[in-house]
Amino acid sequence: MAKTILIVDDSASIRQVVGLTLKGAGYDIVDAVDGKDALTKLDGRKINLVISDVNMPNMDGISFVKQMKTMPAYKFTPVIMLTTEGSEAMKRDGQAAGAKAWVVKPFQPAQMLDAVSKLILP
Amino acid sequence: MSLDLGEALQTFFAESRGLLQDMEESLLRLESESDDAESINAVFRAAHTIKGSSGMFGLDAIVAFTHKVENLLDQVRNGAVPLKEGMIGLLLACRDHIERLLDFAAAGEEMDADARTHGEALTAQLSQCLGKSATVPAEAVSPLESAGGRPMAGDTWHISLRFGQDVLKNGMDPLSFLRYLGTLGEICHLATLADALPAAAEMDPECCYLGFELCLKSDVDKARIEAVFEFVRDDCDLHILPPGSKQADYLRLIAALPEDNARLGELLVASGAMTARELEMILTAQESAGASQATQKPLGEILVERQIVQPELVNAALSKQKDARNRQAQEAKFIRVHADKLDHLINLVGELVISGAGVGLQAARNKDATLMESVSGMARLVEDIRDGAMRLRMVEIGETFNRFRRVVRDVSKEIGKDIELVIEGEGTELDKTVVDKIGDPLTHLMRNAMDHGIEPAELRASRGKPVKGTLKLNAYHESGGIVIEVSDDGGGLNRERILAKAREKGLIPDDGGNLSDAEVWKLIFEAGFSTAEQVSNLSGRGVGMDVVRRNIEALRGTVDIESHAGLGSIFRIRLPLTLAIIDGFLMGVGDGHYVVPLDMVQECLELDPARSEQRDYINLRGEVLPLLRVKEHFGLGGRAGRRENVVVVNSAGRKAGLVVDELKGEFQAVIKPLAAMFAKVRGVTGSTILGSGEVALVLEVPALLTEAARKLAA
Repeated sequence: MAKTILIVDDSASIRQVVGLTLKGAGYDIVDAVDGKDALTKLDGRKINLVISDVNMPNMDGISFVKQMKTMPAYKFTPVIMLTTEGSEAMKRDGQAAGAKAWVVKPFQPAQMLDAVSKLILP
Repeated sequence: MSLDLGEALQTFFAESRGLLQDMEESLLRLESESDDAESINAVFRAAHTIKGSSGMFGLDAIVAFTHKVENLLDQVRNGAVPLKEGMIGLLLACRDHIERLLDFAAAGEEMDADARTHGEALTAQLSQCLGKSATVPAEAVSPLESAGGRPMAGDTWHISLRFGQDVLKNGMDPLSFLRYLGTLGEICHLATLADALPAAAEMDPECCYLGFELCLKSDVDKARIEAVFEFVRDDCDLHILPPGSKQADYLRLIAALPEDNARLGELLVASGAMTARELEMILTAQESAGASQATQKPLGEILVERQIVQPELVNAALSKQKDARNRQAQEAKFIRVHADKLDHLINLVGELVISGAGVGLQAARNKDATLMESVSGMARLVEDIRDGAMRLRMVEIGETFNRFRRVVRDVSKEIGKDIELVIEGEGTELDKTVVDKIGDPLTHLMRNAMDHGIEPAELRASRGKPVKGTLKLNAYHESGGIVIEVSDDGGGLNRERILAKAREKGLIPDDGGNLSDAEVWKLIFEAGFSTAEQVSNLSGRGVGMDVVRRNIEALRGTVDIESHAGLGSIFRIRLPLTLAIIDGFLMGVGDGHYVVPLDMVQECLELDPARSEQRDYINLRGEVLPLLRVKEHFGLGGRAGRRENVVVVNSAGRKAGLVVDELKGEFQAVIKPLAAMFAKVRGVTGSTILGSGEVALVLEVPALLTEAARKLAA
């Protein structure tokens, strides 16, 4: 069965491109527009990986990951944070929250695929 | 990678334009409340998202520029750089530049020299605001040094890996890293070290206790190999020896690793000589049978344990998650739909209405009672579907109004008048098509009001008015239509000046001094009319108010003016709520059919043929009601009806009676545009198809009202 990836980003184009890229590589995709929306997607379904932006309206990526890590079903789910260059502090916050992997924005679709394949296989 | 990004690119453009809009609104809000943290954040987020997305599409010019804007915004957000007024102007200019870059990208063009210089100028100003010290490097700095050269052919890398106990808890699976490593080259040997594994009783199944020693045959460089373990680097002890390393390097490695030296020594020294090649050969020979399977096993066991843990915990988590989901469901959700799909739906609904009317007609002809009953049930549903479909196209006018904040800000700066924009009724909804088309006429009216309406500050002061001029945009619903008002508190229209100008242009005869105010105001909508004594570069460019009127009339709307000398003027635009389908009132004249919008019909009367004064007007409960004979107006022949009826119509406070032969009742009219050859026919705006397949013309009530009033006066 294909692995499922949850993409959380307020930018529709990022969701679309990352989604297309990963679908092309054989992953299943679920997406959410912000942290709050993403929590509703964690409804017991199997999520093998989460890709989340940090800066989002309603609920930012770090609060979202913190909440996710309190859910027993998802506490081991790996998270890739989408960070910006020069925001080391943000990266540290993310890592403290449990998001150990990151991809620096702006990125090429291939870079995303590369990061994902380090963590899970299709 | 060959991906079809075309569609995603369109999403990107639409999204970025939306973000730029938000950015502008927030910037303008910041102008009045410079410490509004949420607005600063919103501006930052817009720039941040545009940069992030454009990078994905390789739009490097946009990335580079927004990056600089984002830097400044980041500093402002952190409080490192104070937000000064000039900075908002600069950020607005940057916003416009990003929009321009987007336009270039959308057209698939390189930016031209002009844009490039402009961008450079803005960049310079941005860095000035930022100060040199605060710049953030544009390229991601690799935290790892890229030591070590290219490997010699045939040799292997030696990698020592000790994963931290928390890697699994962090969602990192050592196995996937090893598999990924396998994509860089060939892992020709792998030994698993289970030395750290505690006794079973003390073992935490969620922890990782394993270490790995492996040989990788690959021609990538050291940085690539290190990058594989980028995400676990904080959680893992990683040593990489390049191919052909010296014996001393291995000894240092042994000293650095946590395991018992003898055990590692056994592993490495047992290979005899310390070259990587011999090490590999011997290790492979020694352990090839058992080791590779044994290697997989402990990991496999851990994975199995994880699989067992999870289903049990899922149940416990489930109720909690359900709560969260129910809460979410109550919040409004939006779906972004392509406008074409909605248009297609509206067209289909239009066709459904027509064919439904056809079925109704058949049922009535056949006098089939049960069929008629089902048809009327269906007709009700069709009507609901129609209303629902039309509502899908309804958008709030607020977004259009908010765009004018920028226009007012820029124009008032440019012409040196202090003008405030007040917006009301932004929640009023109307058809998307109308919203799209009303922007231009509104812009023109606004500029006109700012340029000619609102007086210069000194004049205002001498008239005892507040120095700051006020411009107001308002929208509200009124009898099946929407009214948009542009009002200013300026000097009002100048009757004498308009009359003089109109005489000069030959629009009215020289003695036309007895026109009513409303008639005089209307003159400014005549083609080629411009009263501005000095032509500024804003309004009065020749494309005058007649274009405004034509644009509004093309939307089946009207515009009228209320003006009071010294107090200001109000331009009132009345528009139908929708352009596609209306509730109409069907009438028969001669052999033809005509429709008027139902909400303009006030009442119907029978015309008494015995009373001869009823030629041009009737007495309607003490009021003079001008009559317009539709048959004469359109020069129709055809048989005379047994008796004539009067349909009293009303628009913008004016009334008239349309004399027709037959009243046919309510009718849902799907309005189709008329071909250009009908452009000269006054009093008709469109056509519609009846259930029988015949064509009916949709009457333009405002034009007919004017005509009736004119006839009565003559």
